[in-house]
Amino acid sequence: MILHLAFYFALLSLVSVGGIPSVMPEMQRLVVDVQGWMSAAEYTQLFAIAQAAPGPNVLVTALIGWKVAGFAGGLVALGAFCGPAAVLAYSIGGYWDRMRDAPWRRVFQRALVPISVGFIVSGGYVLATPQGLDWQGALIACASAATLYATRLNPLWMLSGGGVLGFLLF
Amino acid sequence: MVEERRWVAPVDFAEVLALCQFLPGPNVGNVSVVLGRRWFGPLGSVVAFAGLMALPLVWVFGLALLYADFSSNPAVRAVVTGVGIAGGGLFIGTALKLARPLAQKPWGIALAASCFGVIAIGRVSLFTVLPVAMLLGWFAARRDLL
Repeated sequence: MILHLAFYFALLSLVSVGGIPSVMPEMQRLVVDVQGWMSAAEYTQLFAIAQAAPGPNVLVTALIGWKVAGFAGGLVALGAFCGPAAVLAYSIGGYWDRMRDAPWRRVFQRALVPISVGFIVSGGYVLATPQGLDWQGALIACASAATLYATRLNPLWMLSGGGVLGFLLF
Repeated sequence: MVEERRWVAPVDFAEVLALCQFLPGPNVGNVSVVLGRRWFGPLGSVVAFAGLMALPLVWVFGLALLYADFSSNPAVRAVVTGVGIAGGGLFIGTALKLARPLAQKPWGIALAASCFGVIAIGRVSLFTVLPVAMLLGWFAARRDLL
């Protein structure tokens, strides 16, 4: 199980353009739909813990690994998810600097904007609909998205507000 | 690193960050690898990455263990689910900010909406969607549609 997880997360590492949010739907598809290692609700709860804890949101991979295969699974999942992308960053760092003004780099970057947007919204959607689309979840997610978009409040306020609404509505 | 220690110039830091946002993988993790390499080679990368992750990892496992003890309580579960949904909302808000330059670009909006449709609603694998989307995006960007 750990090997399966490591292999899959390492593959995901290389397609995670846009970062963690972009791969949340695919990870959920694997651990919930395909493997049945946890429910969609548990997946959203693990994500909540990673968001609430201080630190980078990539730590959610460690929690998913931990849920599936204990602490060793957590460390393996985090390493597998960060490793391949890190090696790529390591080896491409110098090359990227030299290509600063290359026209293909600009084309590439422009192409990535709408794709990242679509992927990141998908990540938000699957996390916000653990029991399918319901009005309570839609309310919490829309309120949080609108607050982030329109204000400069620290996101911890939106997470706390989500907790309060969750307590009242579910 | 930029403001207190002055190890990196602000412009330089922004360049490294831009690279790491574009590359796959966690942004902060990649930044630590690129900067660690610059000063101390491969070992620097490993040390920088481990240093960045160690303490937050303790935190997040601590919280997860705490939650495991209380997860049978429906009220606790409701609160945590609410936090997770709000976290999903934060992603959506972030994407909306990122989407601002697309306002004048109908093809960009169409591409973003299609990605959402096939992934979130259609539940198609990212490994299928990404190559197709990249190809479409590349051609559209070449023709100045994006």
